[in-house]
Amino acid sequence: MVERRRTLLGDTLAIVMAGGQGERLYPLTRDRGKPAVPFGGIYRVIDFTLSNCLNSGLRKIYVLTQYKSGSLERHVRIGWGPLFNHELDQWIQCVPPQLRVGERWYQGTADAVYQNVYLLEQERPRYVVVLSGDHIYKMDFARLIERHEATGALATVAAVEVPIAEASAFGVIAVDEEGRITAFQEKPKNPSPIPGRPDRAMVNMGVYVFDTETLVRALAADARRESRHDFGHDILPSLVSTRRLFSYSFLDENKKQTAYWRDIGTLDSYYEASMDLVAVEPVFNLYDKSWPIRTMIQQLPPAKTVFAQEEPGGRLGIVLDSLVSAGAIISGGRVERCVLGPEVRINSYAKVADSVLMDGVDVGRHARITKAIVDKGVRIPANFVVGEDAEEDKRRFTVTPAGVVVIPREARLD
Amino acid sequence: MSKAPKILVIEDEKNLRILYQQELARDGFEVATAANATEGLAMIAAERPDLVVMDIRMPGMDGLEAMSRLLDKHPRIPVVLNSAYSSYKDSFMSWSADAYVVKSADTGELRTRVRELLAARAES
Repeated sequence: MVERRRTLLGDTLAIVMAGGQGERLYPLTRDRGKPAVPFGGIYRVIDFTLSNCLNSGLRKIYVLTQYKSGSLERHVRIGWGPLFNHELDQWIQCVPPQLRVGERWYQGTADAVYQNVYLLEQERPRYVVVLSGDHIYKMDFARLIERHEATGALATVAAVEVPIAEASAFGVIAVDEEGRITAFQEKPKNPSPIPGRPDRAMVNMGVYVFDTETLVRALAADARRESRHDFGHDILPSLVSTRRLFSYSFLDENKKQTAYWRDIGTLDSYYEASMDLVAVEPVFNLYDKSWPIRTMIQQLPPAKTVFAQEEPGGRLGIVLDSLVSAGAIISGGRVERCVLGPEVRINSYAKVADSVLMDGVDVGRHARITKAIVDKGVRIPANFVVGEDAEEDKRRFTVTPAGVVVIPREARLD
Repeated sequence: MSKAPKILVIEDEKNLRILYQQELARDGFEVATAANATEGLAMIAAERPDLVVMDIRMPGMDGLEAMSRLLDKHPRIPVVLNSAYSSYKDSFMSWSADAYVVKSADTGELRTRVRELLAARAES
């Protein structure tokens, strides 16, 4: 057998953490994990991280799943599996808990990798990239790995710079002038600034590169300690004293002025990120051909609008400032500033504004929907009103602190 | 005076079991032995050992799997892997052990590691 050429990326294994329950996204996570939540009409949240892997040249990917992983597994297998060629030693594979090490669910992100250490043993890569399956950003992991190799670090942590006033909400990384990490601060009252830039701080993005031996030894030691078994809280802080733990400043492939990195952690952050997409100039660019975002494509007819009766009282199918996915039909209704998933139907005289409608939502005649997230397949009856009377909405639905109404899957509204 | 620390030796070779039992007992430890991994794991709850000496290559379940099962339930019990082979030092699972001793005619290294680990445990 010819020994395959060892290259930097070919010798790197990616592990995508996709086991989070996403409780703060409930009810969107009632029937699916956070990485499987639909976003931007045709995508699921995990597509952004997987697109980053693909665009960076990473071709060995394990997706660690745990809760309610059926739809995620299907999405990855059908949507992503065909892009990786087994004969070229490429793969993407979902791995549910195997209970090999113990008889328990994952106790934390570090425990999830520890319980699957046999996957690392089989492959014995030089580097392991650990990623979260629930962040929205564009990043070239190849540059991160090159930097990791150049500094001779044992582990490298990607960090995004934020104004210091906002840093208290995140995990902050204190660094020295050379980018060496000196401390981890979890939601600190007084975040350490970047050396020489007192108004900025470095925030941990949950994107890590490890030398494999360093990772495995740190995980093995952590497994025997009382800890949260978490990368940011336990594993990385345990490596600070080696002085070979470095930060990497996030280089955004999004090509906008502000670096874009979002943890879709709450319903309000989900809603905000969705509404950004319908802005005239979205901060997050889905249209850059040099950094395509992929997903599982369904064969569907083109989106369509029908009825052009522009006279008063006429039926007018109209869409303004919105994303409209394939198979949608705007049939005599009005849509403004919305993200419409595949096969959405908006019937006559209905008005939908500032909302996210997932696959197959059907809005009945004369219904009015404002500032809502409507999960897959919900049928909104004729004349139904959402988003105009907060008290009434709160009696029936989840309403977020920012006032977004969330209508769960299979809600019976008539 | 406090009770002597108890050591559980899991070792499939009878002669070695007897040897380790005698030598560790002479060092002042209480020693229990098991002839295979399954038997050894079953003894943990009743014997509550302060340290486990684990052979790797045994009939049935090997020592690496037995160690990971043991540590899952009792992560604080120190484990000394004790094998005639050094090749398992490469195995990721072996890195969970507190020490790895390659068997030799002289039990000195094994006894030293056992003493060190029990002393460290007594301090913590």
